[in-house]
Amino acid sequence: MAASNYLSYTAREFAMDEDFQQWVLHPEQRNVFWESWLRQYPEKEPVISNARQLVQSIRFRDYSLSATDKEQLWDAVWNGLEEEEEATVETPALPVRKINIWRYAAAVMLGMLLTGGWWWWKTGSRQPAILSTFTRLGETRKLLLPDSSEVTLNADSRLLYAVTGSGQREVWLDGEAFFHVKHTASQQKFIVHTYDHLDVEVLGTQFNVNSTGKEIVVVLQQGSILLNIGEPGNGKAAALYLQPGEMLRYNKQDGDYAKRSVDAVNYTSWHTGRLTMNDFTLADAAVFMEQVFGKKLIVRDTQLLSYKVSGSMPIIYNADTMMTQLGKVFRMQFNQRGDEVWIHKP
Amino acid sequence: MNTGKAFRSGLQVVASHSSLWGLFLQGDRHAFAEIYDAHIDDLFHYGMHFCQDKERVKDCLQDLFQDLWISREHLTTNIGNVRYYLISSLRRRLLRALRKDRRYQHRESWDAFEFECTLPLENQLIQHETLEEQKRLLQEALSHLSRRQREAIYLRFFQNLNYNEVADIMSMQVDSVYNTISKAIGILKKNLSLPLLLLLLGR
Repeated sequence: MAASNYLSYTAREFAMDEDFQQWVLHPEQRNVFWESWLRQYPEKEPVISNARQLVQSIRFRDYSLSATDKEQLWDAVWNGLEEEEEATVETPALPVRKINIWRYAAAVMLGMLLTGGWWWWKTGSRQPAILSTFTRLGETRKLLLPDSSEVTLNADSRLLYAVTGSGQREVWLDGEAFFHVKHTASQQKFIVHTYDHLDVEVLGTQFNVNSTGKEIVVVLQQGSILLNIGEPGNGKAAALYLQPGEMLRYNKQDGDYAKRSVDAVNYTSWHTGRLTMNDFTLADAAVFMEQVFGKKLIVRDTQLLSYKVSGSMPIIYNADTMMTQLGKVFRMQFNQRGDEVWIHKP
Repeated sequence: MNTGKAFRSGLQVVASHSSLWGLFLQGDRHAFAEIYDAHIDDLFHYGMHFCQDKERVKDCLQDLFQDLWISREHLTTNIGNVRYYLISSLRRRLLRALRKDRRYQHRESWDAFEFECTLPLENQLIQHETLEEQKRLLQEALSHLSRRQREAIYLRFFQNLNYNEVADIMSMQVDSVYNTISKAIGILKKNLSLPLLLLLLGR
């Protein structure tokens, strides 16, 4: 509508205008038209504010669902669906929800067998069981190991699992995974081997191992773990414990390592489908996009790399969506050319 | 671990609804969860205004989301307004459920889509009694609006559906939606404008 038509409007007519209502009811969406119209015709201020009151006075009684109700309702939706779809392959990872482990454990086992992502050899009950799986770029996978431990495998990672004759549980990880290891009655060890000189040894606990970069980063969320570093038999071998909230970084090249305290959630929340960003820099975003989607973020102005944001957002396993979201967060333009993404200020 | 809500007060970024919808149609459960999360509060609010029966509303919502997932392959990619789609689907389900239930027949529930009259802040400067009296008069005037009229007003002002969408959902002409809302605004104006103008002059 042309701006001049509004000049003869009464308060009531303004209050009836959809665009005007939108401006009043949703101040979070900027409406340049009305802002500039008011600047142009300041004498209209009384009529506008009268109309504004009219629109704002329409309110409705509040009804709200509690967070628990919302979760229960969501669970009920999925319970009904699981009856429909017998073979649920992966659990619906939700933004804000706990998962009923036991229900979904069965589904994951079935899913594993169906999708063939897992290979399973078991030639006799005394023989070791070996399982292996992997993820491609842009996908994660939740796994339930035969000992009931859970592993969430991040994108572009490989995992091999074996139970040796003595009942010791061992996995080999290339990439990133979050482990929730179950205690066994007979206190069998669970060992995570990396393809460098670093092993993680636990009984039952929750922790994250990331070996994708130049360093191996281990973050402990709960329980206690023992790290075996260096080549056994070599004088440099060392063993040290991590406490919850501690992180160990191991340099693959020179074998140096250092321990410090961190907020574990920053390193582990990905396994629940959220990216936690506390002082999250554009450089961190670049690491994330490369690890998970194989996209290389490129900036001309390297100062941009230290731009920081804080908050959290859902991880959508779609490179374009994720890029759009990160672009909004950092208020920068992400232009994609193949697997390269050029970033600049808008 | 439960992240999520605790961080929501700060930065919260979600994909635009239409691209989420596309992902959902491809069977992306994260996207489905995001859609649930984005709309459940408003859908529940609508359902409660519609029938004030919490269990019934929850049942209908469960069916709605289950059917949504099951039928996702047959849904249009060009959804336009997801909220409009969900509300109209919920409305059909509630009507169907209520029709089966004798207790609700012939009952023009007076508290359906009832306005909560929150007078503008400035008016609170007026003496308390005047305010109460004004509120009472306003409430009475608004109660002359029919349930359908109140629902139309609710859909426009609370659920942010445009006049055309409101008309579609209610099976009304766009003109009568417009007239309904005009009537309500007229009532509000008659009851609100006098003290308001005085205040403006006094500034």
